[in-house]
Amino acid sequence: MSSVPAQLPAPARRRPGRLAGKGIWLAAAVLLAVLPFLFRSGTALTVMSLMGIAIIFALSYNILLGQTGMLSFGHAVYYGLGAYFTVHAMNAAVAAKLALPLPLMPLVGGLAGLGSAAVLGWVSTPRSGTAFAMISLGLAELVGSSSLILPSFFGGEEGVSTNRTRLLHVLGWNFGPQIQVYYLIAAWCFVCAVLMYALTRTPFGRMCNAVRDNAERVQFVGYNPRIVRFIAFSLAGLFAGVAGSLAAIDFELANAALFSAAQSGNVILATFIGGAGHFIGPVLGAVLVTWLQSMLSDLTDVWQLYFGLLFIAAVLYAPGGLAGLIMAHRPIWRAGGIARLIPAYGLMAVPALLIFAGAVLAIEMAAHLAGKPEEGSVIRIAGLACDTRSWEPWVLAAAALIGGSVLVRLTWARVVAVWDRALDAARAKGYTA
Amino acid sequence: MSTAALELRGLRKNFGRAEIIRGVDLVVPRGERHAVIGPNGAGKSTLFNLISGLLSPDAGEVKLDGVPVTGLAPYQINRRGLSRSFQITNIFPRLTAWENVRCALLWPAGEKYAFWHAADRNDKVAARADQILADIELLHRRDVPAGILAYAEQRALEIGITVAGGASVILLDEPTVGMSHAETQRKVELIRRITQDRTLVIVEHDMSVVFGLADRISVLVYGEIIASGTPAEIRANARVREAYLGDEEQ
Repeated sequence: MSSVPAQLPAPARRRPGRLAGKGIWLAAAVLLAVLPFLFRSGTALTVMSLMGIAIIFALSYNILLGQTGMLSFGHAVYYGLGAYFTVHAMNAAVAAKLALPLPLMPLVGGLAGLGSAAVLGWVSTPRSGTAFAMISLGLAELVGSSSLILPSFFGGEEGVSTNRTRLLHVLGWNFGPQIQVYYLIAAWCFVCAVLMYALTRTPFGRMCNAVRDNAERVQFVGYNPRIVRFIAFSLAGLFAGVAGSLAAIDFELANAALFSAAQSGNVILATFIGGAGHFIGPVLGAVLVTWLQSMLSDLTDVWQLYFGLLFIAAVLYAPGGLAGLIMAHRPIWRAGGIARLIPAYGLMAVPALLIFAGAVLAIEMAAHLAGKPEEGSVIRIAGLACDTRSWEPWVLAAAALIGGSVLVRLTWARVVAVWDRALDAARAKGYTA
Repeated sequence: MSTAALELRGLRKNFGRAEIIRGVDLVVPRGERHAVIGPNGAGKSTLFNLISGLLSPDAGEVKLDGVPVTGLAPYQINRRGLSRSFQITNIFPRLTAWENVRCALLWPAGEKYAFWHAADRNDKVAARADQILADIELLHRRDVPAGILAYAEQRALEIGITVAGGASVILLDEPTVGMSHAETQRKVELIRRITQDRTLVIVEHDMSVVFGLADRISVLVYGEIIASGTPAEIRANARVREAYLGDEEQ
């Protein structure tokens, strides 16, 4: 076969060393193991358990959104069904006195998720894009409403409860204490993350990316994009079912809230804010969103509003999510130019904090006026007493917002110039990613 | 007598009441480089879409190596050994150049929808992808996302994806469109080289490409082939000159 020598030498094959890859996973495993020793409070343990569940759920969603380009509005269906089947399996095992260990119960949830996703995916995955998104929404409504139609399985409004301590005890663990549940969730989280990462590296995983990029072209290299979407959907359902199963074990309850539209929305938010374009993105998003939900809901009544603003900000200014922002710094970091960015970021932090403070002040005062007028007109924000009926705090909020915006306009070009110089310098040294 | 690599019999396609392809017969023997020329709107791209399965014909038959493939899905036709490129660059923009080529190698390598082992471990596929990139002179751009390659590089990649899988029949839809003269010359050499020992059907507007590359030429006008023959015969054909070539050859 004749071949023309390329004009330029090919770059060295960039195969991430298996050792480096394993090192990251080892670090993750160690981190999961030691976290309860770093954050010892009961609340921390509860929140970290929720994070582990959310990570599996968001990673499973990203098989669809990030890997295959499928926007599903009904991913909580498989999460919820995984939870219900687990609760019923646990209760049945207890009733039949079967010696089943609790740590294996997520397999039931996974199978339920896989089976239901295969059935419903058969309907939705022949289509892509908007049609797929609409069908997923319709199916979510269908399953959601059936929870009230079939109370014998779904337990009506209060759901179905269970007792995780009544299953076979393993190595003296009865999974009563939250710390034991945390380790159960952490172990499943680790295994699922490894499996889902490995999935992206398989021939099927690569063709998922091809379908995401250009489903038409995929047909002309021998692949049926419908089958790729169907397998992706089924496997995403499997891991969502495992996540739902762990939620059921954690709460000792399965109820309709688990497969509500809000739950489907949450996983979209987490995946998007974390960044669908990188494997680590949904992990970051799940951790951040879970943390914000537990922390913000203590701080403010209108925490969902902040959450919505964060999502809008991510869509508008960081479409690659947190992971996208971090990865954009990688070439500069590797070229050793990150220090040059610090003054520029410091400069930007001033107007950013001003806008943030102004927005918080305005939102809290408005929420107080609209929501709790009976509690008087004075609220305390960060230790400051603000009278929502006097004009001063409103002027202060407006001044912070407007002043911050003006400062952003004044400094933005400088920050961009510093960024461009740092990136050019990194590229000149050969670091493009 | 060996069967033809590609055979079209009475192929017809209507869009609503508009007859776009009006009974096309064409036989392309194995190993031939066959050009389809014709004015804009003659139905050349539609003809490619009918052959490759993107559209199904209203009447007529498509045979690949003597076996009917009419009405099969594109991926089924592709698995039977026919591969096509597109007039508008049709690649995987977020995958690297190397990954783009590899996408076309996985099915022929028997990987199918495997989700239980890593794709990178297949060294044969990796080596073949490097070879294809070298052939299309993109080896130095191997790890660059295809979406940020230069236009001419994307066009080369389009051809690389098309030929990578080892299909015996290659359809190229205007591979040199939008290229400079020098780029076109290189492209012709490239096409000649990588379609060695294969059957090529090419749609092309650039007559220097057509007459330099083709063993035989068919002229498609308003959905019908009005002439088929060697470049010399086509040049001499009065009807073709009147309908299409016009005065540009004089």
